[in-house]
Amino acid sequence: MNEKQTPLVEVRHLKKYFPITGGFLQRKVGEVKAVDDVSFQVFHGETLGLVGETGCGKTTVGRTMLRLYEPTDGKIIFDGTDLTSLGEEALRNNRKRMQMIFQDPYASLNPRMTVGSIVGAPLDVHTRMSGKEKYDRIQDLLDIVGLNPDFVNRYPHEFSGGQRQRIGIARALALEPDLIVCDEPISSLDVSIQAQVVNLLEELQKKIGLTYVFIAHDLSMVRHISNRIAVMYLGKIMELADRDEIYLNSLHPYTQALMSAVPIPDPDLALERHRIILDGDIPSPKNPPKGCNFNTRCPIAKERCFVEEPAYREVKENHWAACHFVE
Amino acid sequence: MSNYIIRRIISVLPTLIGVTFVIFMFQRLIPGDPAVAMLGEHATEESIERLREQFGLNRPLFLDREALADGDLAGFFDSQYVRYMKRLFSLDMGESIHRRIPVAETLAIRFPATIELALLSMFIAIIIGIPVGIISAAKRNSAIDSISMVGSLVGVSMPIFWLGLMEIMLFAVLMQWLPAGGRLGTGIEIKPITNLYLVDSLLMGNFQAFKDVFAHIIMPAIALATIPMGIIARMTRSSMLDVLQEDYVRTARAKGLGRGLVLFRHALKNASLPVVTIIGLQMGTLLAGAVLTETIFSWPGIGRWVYDGILGRDYPIVQGGTLVIALVFVGVNFFVDIMYALLDPRIRYD
Amino acid sequence: MANITPEEVIVTDFAVREHRSLWIDAWRRLISSNTARLGMFIVALFVLSAILAHYFWEYDPKVDLDYTLKLKPPTLVANEDVPSVHLFGTDKLGRDIFRRVVHGGWNSLRVGIVAVGISLTVGGLIGLFAGFYENINMTSLERIFLFGFTGLIMGILPAWAAAQPLQAVLMAGLGVAAAYFPNFHKDSINRLWIFAAAGGVVTAVPSLFAGSLVTLVCGVWGILTGALLSRPLEGKFFSNVMMRLMDIVLSFPGYLLAIAIVAFLGPGLEKGMIAIGIVSIPVYARLTRSAVLAVIQKEYILAAQAVGEKHGRIIFRHLTPNILSPIIVQTTMGLANAILSAAALGFLGLGAIPPEPEWGAMLGDSYRYLTSGAWWAVLFPGLAIMLSVLGFNLLGDGLRDALDPKLRT
Repeated sequence: MNEKQTPLVEVRHLKKYFPITGGFLQRKVGEVKAVDDVSFQVFHGETLGLVGETGCGKTTVGRTMLRLYEPTDGKIIFDGTDLTSLGEEALRNNRKRMQMIFQDPYASLNPRMTVGSIVGAPLDVHTRMSGKEKYDRIQDLLDIVGLNPDFVNRYPHEFSGGQRQRIGIARALALEPDLIVCDEPISSLDVSIQAQVVNLLEELQKKIGLTYVFIAHDLSMVRHISNRIAVMYLGKIMELADRDEIYLNSLHPYTQALMSAVPIPDPDLALERHRIILDGDIPSPKNPPKGCNFNTRCPIAKERCFVEEPAYREVKENHWAACHFVE
Repeated sequence: MSNYIIRRIISVLPTLIGVTFVIFMFQRLIPGDPAVAMLGEHATEESIERLREQFGLNRPLFLDREALADGDLAGFFDSQYVRYMKRLFSLDMGESIHRRIPVAETLAIRFPATIELALLSMFIAIIIGIPVGIISAAKRNSAIDSISMVGSLVGVSMPIFWLGLMEIMLFAVLMQWLPAGGRLGTGIEIKPITNLYLVDSLLMGNFQAFKDVFAHIIMPAIALATIPMGIIARMTRSSMLDVLQEDYVRTARAKGLGRGLVLFRHALKNASLPVVTIIGLQMGTLLAGAVLTETIFSWPGIGRWVYDGILGRDYPIVQGGTLVIALVFVGVNFFVDIMYALLDPRIRYD
Repeated sequence: MANITPEEVIVTDFAVREHRSLWIDAWRRLISSNTARLGMFIVALFVLSAILAHYFWEYDPKVDLDYTLKLKPPTLVANEDVPSVHLFGTDKLGRDIFRRVVHGGWNSLRVGIVAVGISLTVGGLIGLFAGFYENINMTSLERIFLFGFTGLIMGILPAWAAAQPLQAVLMAGLGVAAAYFPNFHKDSINRLWIFAAAGGVVTAVPSLFAGSLVTLVCGVWGILTGALLSRPLEGKFFSNVMMRLMDIVLSFPGYLLAIAIVAFLGPGLEKGMIAIGIVSIPVYARLTRSAVLAVIQKEYILAAQAVGEKHGRIIFRHLTPNILSPIIVQTTMGLANAILSAAALGFLGLGAIPPEPEWGAMLGDSYRYLTSGAWWAVLFPGLAIMLSVLGFNLLGDGLRDALDPKLRT
């Protein structure tokens, strides 16, 4: 996974700022810097975990990556094609290859469409399959995600949350994409169901050869499914490394604080572990602090941190971090 | 808060300009020439022209294109609309084309008449509507609830003019309790202090007059009040129901507060928001109903007066009257906005 | 960790719930409500009697006249005084009120449908597009259309001033150009100057023949418009402008506007329908827009975009079915209001022209005779108004309860 292969997706210096308008003429009075210069690669067949607190911009990264939001700046190279420069038609065509699964199983399915129509929608848009062909394909898809294909004509409200997520997954798989961005797909589910859905995703990845960007805030689940993990804070990536590196040898103070909070099943080990508690307030993304974004809460912040923004660089092999005190 | 008020005032200005514009436009576009209407069809071309000149009716509506072509900038702007706006700013509303009485004068008499009626109606609507709504909400799905809700629905469905006529039929013709129309009985004198006769008669200390005024105003007021009453009752009920289900009400009850206290202190304040908005909106309905009520009850208010003006192409009356009505409307909406901000602190940070 | 293969995960714990769509659910709730049933009954009665009377019970209002029968009270059987049966009595021209009331229903029905149709279509479309483009980015085709249209509208003034249509067309063209080349000097102030200059030239040059002042005024206007068109206007701009316009109309007392429109258009039931329809446009615009805003935040809209669905399909398949509920309720109540307003207009003498049977006009004719005792001429037409309006209101109420999202899962 870490040989120098060409990445499936390469995100370069991605920025997404949301304007804040105010006043009578709706002038721009400020910006929310949701994503502020983010760069990373996603390799074929891997799962890149993207974690961070609420509001750190991970969902925005996921959506902007697929150009569901227009990037304010930066490039997204998908399998050699620069998504940012594509026209509308070409972009629409590319959508076949990259799909998304959403967080809210209740809001991500049109309540007035049958399951069959929902799952078949991508087929309607991008293919010229006949009714019978579509029907068969939909049945297959439902089967793959573990739903009874007889339920094609049912409505979303007749299903449980976990089942609805499966419907969403079936929809995402309809066109056999290469990449699926999973935007907190399990956060709204019961814990027992979470495991089922995650297992399903893993199975699919093995069987079909999918690449995932897995956005979440639950660190233990992310650990299970990811090959590499990127940690975000206030619109920037703080650290990016292999899964084990992040959990055992994290270098950035923020990551270390996060890791120290992950529950350890073994009570004895848990007692021994040293919790790093962050204090201070999270700055607003409208007004990020000067210097390092993390300086308001960082336990090892020095003068330099308030003046100079740390560069995001490769500090070890395949291990990137943005901190002045990392080596 | 004052920031909010200022912003509200600013956003009202384009509306006001739009209002004057529309008022001006429409009655100008009504086919029919007031000069002809006044002088009769057999008048000479000359005299008609002279009359039109006198009233400025021969100027173009907005901008004088030919004047512009002639290089006459002042002439470009000398139009009916501009003259109208200029006079408006000096508060000169002109004279009625037909009767030559200054518009402002008639307004001073007729406007309070309508306002008095409207205020009394709104008062009745609120006094009855809100308690009914509260009780219905408190005793949800009981007999009282069903009756009140169906009753308000019936009230909302009734044409005002028909209700007024039914009232006359019952109370004036059949039972002969109340007079069938007009504002004052013969022989009753009111000193015009505020021109609100109910108030004036009390200020005069003349109870006989007060009774007479009341007898005249009560039927039209009730007729006018029925629709707002129904709407207010329903709105109060649904708003209260929403609020009563909220968790903070449950918390208050869990703390042991009595039902009545909870109702009033916690629920009512939050439920009053939509109700206040509705009350403001009902002003429009009231003003509309005013025309109809004034017709049936021969009530000397502006509703009927403006209506007659529109039909008679009497532009100054129409302008002055509708301007006042529209101003009241805008003013009430503005007031409601402010009240809303007072009641709900969240709105101020819009 | 357990290695669960998909086949093992089939869920069979379905609560045996009857399979039905949300619409059928709502229908069942509607049927079970007493008030709604009463409303449906009244509305059905109203609609049926109106249609049947219009097509099967001949009535020519122009020849209906019999002075000998003037203002007779209701009779159930013929007698020497009144040779014919008149259930509701007769009016001032001796016409049978019952017959006129029944035929009046047809007029009221028509008014309701046309007026609400106008408000719903125009207002609904405005609200729909306003809400949609506030949140969804426009495609370049849509943007071209928007800019071109704006240019056209702005070009009307210079076109009028110079008495020729060329400027409007050229302005529209300038708008299209501005939309077609959005990146032309995108972030620099040059774009502003260039387009402003172009705008000025486009309006001033064709006006040269009309005089220097005209040219000047046109030129100034053209420069301002050009500057406007150079800005990266988005759907939000369009939406703001439309809703502002709606606000201005809404800030007018509705009845004044209706009377003014009727006064402008002339008398007649058809004109009355149009007037009532126009007055309510902002109501539907606002309602639709807020319904759209509530839906458009939902993730299934975003999912549709992720799938690559085009705007037309999103609006049609995703947006519209989910905003129908409040619109249906409002339409029903709107019908009630339209009938009431038409009656009011008829009462005042605007609207139906005599001798057309219209309930409000019938009241307007006869109310003078109330004090002399002719109560039937006033009671029955008014009762008809009240009942039909009540029917729609009851139905609307029932619909609101049946479609209320709070009652759904």
